[in-house]
Amino acid sequence: MGRDISVLPGGGMRMLKNALSIARKEFADAVTSKRLWLIAGIFLLFSIASTYSTSFGFRIGARQTTRPMVQIASSIASATAYMAPLLGIALAFDAISGERERGTLRILLSRPIYREDVINGKIMSALAVTGLTITISSLAAVSVSILLHNISVTVDDVSRIGLFILFSVVFSFAYYALSLFVSTFSSKSSHSLVISVGIWIFFAFILSIMSSFIATAILGPPPTRALTLFNMSRRQFGNFTTPGGATPQELEEYLNYVRKVSEISGTIQAFSINYHYTQITSSLFSFVAGPLGFGRGEITIASIPTILSTRLIDIIILIVFPIVFLVASYMVFTRRQEK
Amino acid sequence: MGGGENMSLAVETEKLVKVYGNGKTMVKALDGIDMKVPKASVFGLFGPNGSGKTTLISILVGLLLPTSGSAKVLGFDVTRESVEIRRRVGLLPEGFGFYDHMTALENLVFLATLDGVPSSQREKRALEALEAVGLKDRADAKVSTFSRGMKQRLGVAQSLLKDPELLIFDEPTVGIDPEGAAEFRNLVRKMNRDGKTILLSTHLLYEVGMICTHAAIIREGRLLVQGSVDELYRSVREAKGFRYEIRVKPGSDMPLQEIRSIPSVIEIAQSDNRVTVLSKNDIGSILFSLVTKNPYKDIVESLTPVEPSWEEIYRFYQEGG
Repeated sequence: MGRDISVLPGGGMRMLKNALSIARKEFADAVTSKRLWLIAGIFLLFSIASTYSTSFGFRIGARQTTRPMVQIASSIASATAYMAPLLGIALAFDAISGERERGTLRILLSRPIYREDVINGKIMSALAVTGLTITISSLAAVSVSILLHNISVTVDDVSRIGLFILFSVVFSFAYYALSLFVSTFSSKSSHSLVISVGIWIFFAFILSIMSSFIATAILGPPPTRALTLFNMSRRQFGNFTTPGGATPQELEEYLNYVRKVSEISGTIQAFSINYHYTQITSSLFSFVAGPLGFGRGEITIASIPTILSTRLIDIIILIVFPIVFLVASYMVFTRRQEK
Repeated sequence: MGGGENMSLAVETEKLVKVYGNGKTMVKALDGIDMKVPKASVFGLFGPNGSGKTTLISILVGLLLPTSGSAKVLGFDVTRESVEIRRRVGLLPEGFGFYDHMTALENLVFLATLDGVPSSQREKRALEALEAVGLKDRADAKVSTFSRGMKQRLGVAQSLLKDPELLIFDEPTVGIDPEGAAEFRNLVRKMNRDGKTILLSTHLLYEVGMICTHAAIIREGRLLVQGSVDELYRSVREAKGFRYEIRVKPGSDMPLQEIRSIPSVIEIAQSDNRVTVLSKNDIGSILFSLVTKNPYKDIVESLTPVEPSWEEIYRFYQEGG
C-alpha cells in the first residue's frame, strides 16, 4: 500500500510539532504520576543510603582511599544498576498498550498526525524523564556525601560522574525501548509489565546464575583439594591472597579453573545489557573486583580516555541495544492497524 | 492532491475489500463495498454487530488499509492522503476513551493542538465544542467523574474541534440512556442543518429512520442496499405494497365498497376506528379525493400513508430485495 503523501515541504516541522505536543503532555503526566514518584523516591533513597554508608565509612576510618568520591559514586552505580531498568520499564510498559486499553489511541490516531508522532512524543518525554530522574538522584546522593562528610571532589570525579549519569540514562532508556517494544504488540498493559519485568529479572539475576551453572557444567567440578584450601584460607584470612597451605601448583590449578569459569560466565552474560552497563560503570569507578573477590581494596584508576577505549564494545552495545528495540517498536507500531 | 472527481459526494468507495488474517484464519470483513455518501446528508450505515461497519469507517479515516479497492473521502484517497482526510473529518470512534486524570477542557485543548488549531483559538474552540454538547459547565471537571453519557457527549465534542466538513460517528448512542440518545439525535440534526455531512453507523434500526436522510444496509461485509431514505421506503412499498391508514370518528361506520373497487387494492382491514388499505400501486391521491367527498368527509378524521418499518426494510433487503 502507498505511503501517505501528506509529508509536504514543512511536513517535517509539522511532525516535530505534533511529537512535541505529545511529549509535553506525556512529560506532564509522568512528573505528576505516583508511579514515577515512587520509583524516583526509592531510587533516591537507595542512592543516598549507599553513598551515606560509604562516606560514613571514610569518616570513621573504616574505609580508606585516595579517591573517596570515586568509591561513593561506585555505590551509586550499584543502586542504579537495579533502579534504572525499573525506571525505564515503569515509563514504557503501558506507553502504547495503555493507550490502546483506555481507547485514547483511537482518539489520538483520528487526528491529522502520523503514528510516528505518537511514538516520537513518547520517546522524547521518556528521555527527559529518565535524564532528570537519574541526574537528580545521582547528584542528590553525591551532594549528601559532600555536605555531610566533607568529601572533596576533583574535576576528574565530576567528569566520571557526568559520564556515569550519561551511561545510566542510556541504560535506563535501553529498558524503556525494550518495554516499549513489548507494549506496542501487547493488548494488555499487565502482559507488557510481566514480560518486561521478566526480561529484567532474567538479565539481572537469572542469566548470571545460569552462566555459573553452564560454566561448571562445561568445566566439571573445581579441583577438590584446591577448593578446600581456598575455603580454609578464606575463613582464616578473609581473602584468597594468603593461600593457607596450598602449593603454588595447586593454587595455579585453582586459579586457572576460576579464570575459565569467569570467561565462560562472562561470554554468556554478554547477552545481558546489564552486564555491559556494569562493565562500563565498574571501569569508570575502578570498581573491578576480581573473580570471587580478588583484588578487593586495590584501586587502580584508569584515565577516562583509556576507559572509553577499553570499554568501547560495551558502550557500543549499550547504545545499539535501545536503537534496535526502538526500530522494532516503530516497525510494529506503524504497521499495526488499529481498528 | 485531493479535490475529487465527484464534488457532490463526501465519501465514495469502489469495490472495497478488507481481509483479516490469512490461510485458515482469513476473514473477509468487507467484500466489495461500493458506497456513496452525498454531501450534506445524514447517512446511516446500518448493520448487525460484526457486519463490517467499524472496519469500513476505520478504512475511511486511514486507521486501516484496504486489502483492495479504493475509497475517497472529501476527494482524498484513503491510502495516500489519510492525514488530509483526518484534517477535515471529525471521528467519534467506537470504544474511544479520554485521559481520565485530565479535565474535559484539558483533553479537548490537547486534542485541538494535534488537530492543528492555532494556539490562540484552542481554548475558545474547546469551550464552543463543550457548549455544543451541553458540557460547558463541566469544562473543569476531571473526565474520571463523568458518566458514560457525558463521555459520549465529550466524544462528540472532540470530533467538532477542527470544525470538520464530515463527521463520522461509529455507534454513537451505544450505552447511553434514551434521553442522551435523543439529545444526540437533536445535535446531529442541528449539525446537518449547519451544512455538515454526517455518516453514522448503528445497529439500531429505529435510529436510521429517526435522523437519516440516506442509508445503507451492510451485512457480512456487503452492502445490501443504499440510497435516500425515501427511495428505500419506495422500493419496499413497490415490492410489498402501499399501505394507508384511514382514521374515522369513533362510532362511525365506514363504507368500504368504493375503496374495494379501486383496481390495485389488495387488502382492506378494519379495526375499531381505523381502516388499513394495502394497494399494489400508489393510490394516495385517489384515496384523498375519495375521503374528501361525501359520505366520507364527515366521518374520516385522517388519511396517512404508512411507511414500512425499518425492520421490514431490513428484512426485505436481507431476503434479497
